[in-house]
Amino acid sequence: MGLSDAEKNRLLGELEAILDHIARLQKVDTSTLAETAQVGDLVNVMRPDEPEEPIGAAAALRNAPVTDGNYFVVGAIQGVELDA
Amino acid sequence: MTPRTITELAAALRDGSTTPRALLDDAFAHVDRTEKELNAYLTVTRELAELQADAAMRTLADHPDTASPLCGIPMALKDVLCVDGIETTAGSKMLRGFKPPYTGTAVQRLFDAGAVCIGKTNCDEFAMGSSTENSAYGPVSNPWDIERVPGGSSGGSAATVAAGSVPYSLGTDTGGSIRQPAALCGVVGFKPTYGRISRYGLIAFASSLDQIGPFTRTVEDCALVYAAIAGHDPRDSTSDPRAVDDPLAALHTGVAGMRLGIPREYLGEGTEPGVRAAVEAAFRVLEAQGATLREVSLPSTDVALSVYYIIAPAECSSNLARYDGVRFGNRVERPSLTEMYLQTRGAGFGNEVKRRVMLGTYALSSGYYDAYYRQAQKVRTLVSQEFEAVFTEVDAIVCPTSPSVAFTMGSRDDPLSMYMCDVVTLPANLAGVPGISVPCGFVDGLPVGLQVIAPRFEDARVLRVAHAYEQATDFHTVRSPYAREAA
Repeated sequence: MGLSDAEKNRLLGELEAILDHIARLQKVDTSTLAETAQVGDLVNVMRPDEPEEPIGAAAALRNAPVTDGNYFVVGAIQGVELDA
Repeated sequence: MTPRTITELAAALRDGSTTPRALLDDAFAHVDRTEKELNAYLTVTRELAELQADAAMRTLADHPDTASPLCGIPMALKDVLCVDGIETTAGSKMLRGFKPPYTGTAVQRLFDAGAVCIGKTNCDEFAMGSSTENSAYGPVSNPWDIERVPGGSSGGSAATVAAGSVPYSLGTDTGGSIRQPAALCGVVGFKPTYGRISRYGLIAFASSLDQIGPFTRTVEDCALVYAAIAGHDPRDSTSDPRAVDDPLAALHTGVAGMRLGIPREYLGEGTEPGVRAAVEAAFRVLEAQGATLREVSLPSTDVALSVYYIIAPAECSSNLARYDGVRFGNRVERPSLTEMYLQTRGAGFGNEVKRRVMLGTYALSSGYYDAYYRQAQKVRTLVSQEFEAVFTEVDAIVCPTSPSVAFTMGSRDDPLSMYMCDVVTLPANLAGVPGISVPCGFVDGLPVGLQVIAPRFEDARVLRVAHAYEQATDFHTVRSPYAREAA
């Protein structure tokens, strides 16, 4: 995420204040607690292995900023290295 | 004539005293009159609404007895809910012009019931905020006082119901984003049990916490909308397959003999005196209805805020990685791919989103994962266990929805003070339990909300308690100035 110097300076102060507040979490004894990644009790949910109608290339590409035929177009992947 | 409820409008559509087209014209006229001050809508979907109203007219003519009570009735959707071909921005510049290629499940269920969608409502960017001041398209005003916020993040959905433009709307609640704006706007707002409403077609913020739910004027209307959208959906793997209890079956059975708990931590120092007085008066009303009230304790309430502000940003930083300017959304063109990513995300996201992406990325980074994210997940278990323990002693919890009434725009520019708005709503998201806010009084003309929370999958119980309270009081019949103007 590209941030300007002014943004970086502002975020630094804000994130420090938030992290200071959040630090109270470290005081909780969690030695006997398991982690909660989700509140439900569903595990390994699978749908029937049957083919469904796909969304289709035209719909999938409809919102892309730049396309070429059935492809998304992006700049050179090695651009940063080459620029440097 | 005061703005009417779904129940009243459904009867009027069947006795011939109104038509879907007439209701639609009224709704659009009201939005046209009030939108300049309120800014509750990001898109008005006139063409879609007219098609849906005409289809509803035919359904009501052909099948008046079997048509859904929602058939032909105007409503609005928070702009994080995808509708095929209708611009859906999530309140962000990043998604300006984005037209989803499909409609989400909850929305489709309303459309199948004959609902008439008049527009997409304004919200905090990607649903991150408690005041709707974080929208890239300007803040929403509270219909009770336009200098004040409507709460957030579903501020537009709450404001349009409070203003009387539509009898109901959908919002989403990740840490209180339905219940808190409902309280601040004097309407009913319901976050069902996590897993009850499919999240398919909801633009994700924090997937283990997000839940869709309705804003209405009455609890009965809330039960009607909930009944239409709840239930298993194979397209959302966290959607629960258990059968949904009919929320209307026990709605009118009252609270006599029920045990209700008041968590002492939810009426702490931060609670405004007027809010405390209104909520304590509500406790006495419930007691007079035959409920037994007692104090209970949720000791980790204080640290729940910290848990939330690690888990929600962590999930957000992962979910929002998809906005990279490649497949959808806006792009800032640069010759190299990396530079394009950086500039696209830097230009497309607002301040609060950037803060949360940074915070979440930090909490998930290898050196800090155990100290922050893993620790937060463990304390989340503790928060859930405390709810479970309390629910062995009482049937439901009653408490304030928000520690304060609607505050003045711009008055909470420090992120932490804004995060404090959610201190009594976000624990329910961490535990996945259902919660509702119902109007319970006023402080200097500003609404106060009573929150009711029950165990997971006891959504019908939440609605039953809220309904019993509502029927014993008349706060839900008091209209905002904008709704009185509509009359």
